[in-house]
Amino acid sequence: MTEGIEASDLLRFVEGDCSPDEAAAIQAWIAADPRRGELLDELRAVWRLTGSSTRPWVVAGARIRLLPSRGRHAAQRSAGVSARPRSLTFGRAGHGPARIAAAIVCIVAGTVIWRVRPRAAPAREYATSPGQRLQLTLPDSSQVLLSVGTRLRVPRDFGVRARAVELDGEAYFVVRHDPRRPFLVRTRQGVTEDLGTSFDVRAYPQERFVQVVVAAGRVALRAGRGGDSVLSLRSRDRGVIDARGVLRATSGVSVGDYLAWTRGTLVFRDAPLGDVVAQLGPWYDVDIEVSGASRTDERLTISFATGSVDEALATLARVLNARWTRSGRIVRLTPLQRRQ
Amino acid sequence: MLDSHVRSPTLQRRAPPGTPPSWESAFQAHYVELCEYVLRFVGSAEAAQDLVQDLFLRLWASRGPRDATRLTRPYLYVAARNRALKYLRHRRVVTAWIARAACEETPPSDTPEDLCLRGELDDAVQQAIAELPARCRAIFVLRRREQLSYREIATRLSVSLGTVKSQMWRATLRLRTRLAPYLARPVIPEDRAS
Repeated sequence: MTEGIEASDLLRFVEGDCSPDEAAAIQAWIAADPRRGELLDELRAVWRLTGSSTRPWVVAGARIRLLPSRGRHAAQRSAGVSARPRSLTFGRAGHGPARIAAAIVCIVAGTVIWRVRPRAAPAREYATSPGQRLQLTLPDSSQVLLSVGTRLRVPRDFGVRARAVELDGEAYFVVRHDPRRPFLVRTRQGVTEDLGTSFDVRAYPQERFVQVVVAAGRVALRAGRGGDSVLSLRSRDRGVIDARGVLRATSGVSVGDYLAWTRGTLVFRDAPLGDVVAQLGPWYDVDIEVSGASRTDERLTISFATGSVDEALATLARVLNARWTRSGRIVRLTPLQRRQ
Repeated sequence: MLDSHVRSPTLQRRAPPGTPPSWESAFQAHYVELCEYVLRFVGSAEAAQDLVQDLFLRLWASRGPRDATRLTRPYLYVAARNRALKYLRHRRVVTAWIARAACEETPPSDTPEDLCLRGELDDAVQQAIAELPARCRAIFVLRRREQLSYREIATRLSVSLGTVKSQMWRATLRLRTRLAPYLARPVIPEDRAS
């Protein structure tokens, strides 16, 4: 049973790529010699250090598989939360018809506002409402994950000569680089050009700045539509174009924090309450009012990994020592007495 | 990880006291970490997902007043563990493995402080990855960061599937040596009850 197994098969085992039968054979092989067990522990440790998950689990697919069996009552109970797309898998879609089917269902369940305009129209537009995210694959097989309240316009002739898209909001791009057809993300204040890469572009109109965070590869960031000043960004760099069109770069940023949203989490580190509230609103599709305006300067380190708006609010209120009430989309946070 | 956007799913916030956990929130918060945990027992992602989904299905079917305890992280871990062990016995996996799997500990849940600690480690990991031979590194990064399949990597880099697998194995062994000081214990202090 254990013949033909080599140490390198342990990698497949760690990643979970084995069928149940293969896994059983490898388990027997490991159990036969304590040194193999030690090697396994070390490989797992390397995996833990180099990433949080061993593989891209299909969360949305699993939810959808479980939904029908939960029945109508379930759908009513979790309405509002469950209606949102949670295309948390990014990158490899996985194998097997079940996964593919799940992926298709995800897209359908994504309640996409996908307006296909008449033939003459120049672009296809993808948009998400507050509380929604959406994963897309562009015709060149580049992948895009749209964050909440975001609009992406893809021209009809995308990929013919150039690959240019227009963005309002935030999106994470994993681009297949092609030097003959540069990939451009146009935003109100500047242009981001991919030079072989995964990167996040944030350009919400109400924020008056453009932020680009590079997860891998290189990116060129140009201010203004014409683009006189250029910033070259590498992995772990963050480039910003501020309201006056000035470019700034920071290197060695924590990419994980900036990209946490792609995994369904919001992470804030030493951020002003005003910013936290401004981002939570569209994320959970609520309007948050904080009474006591002076507190919006208070700085917080907090993260939200929950799909439930009430849990998120309760967490925030606890950290702030505040009371919260919600009626529909309107949330009120009232600070209790000053903290000691 | 490298740039660690894959890390965030394990980032959990424990439900604040006083908020009764709902099936939905428990699923969102713990599905991935439970799959990761069960995978350590069973070694097959397919089987791990089935087991965890089945657990959530049962929890839904039998929901009631006990949900306040049953939908918490500690309970879910114990339930997942029992299912995983039952599965291994049912499939007649060798007992030595079952004994080993029975020693799997519940991983501590992450807090913002953990993320900071890991940020420090990131540099050491980045450095170790940067020192891999070029092709080795390219393959490792495509696999671990972009999570491409081995076949996709082979196509992207125009190399054979065998090369991808062997380079991946080489990269892992090298990282094991380079990161040896960090491998011994979990990176996260275990002073939190979970």
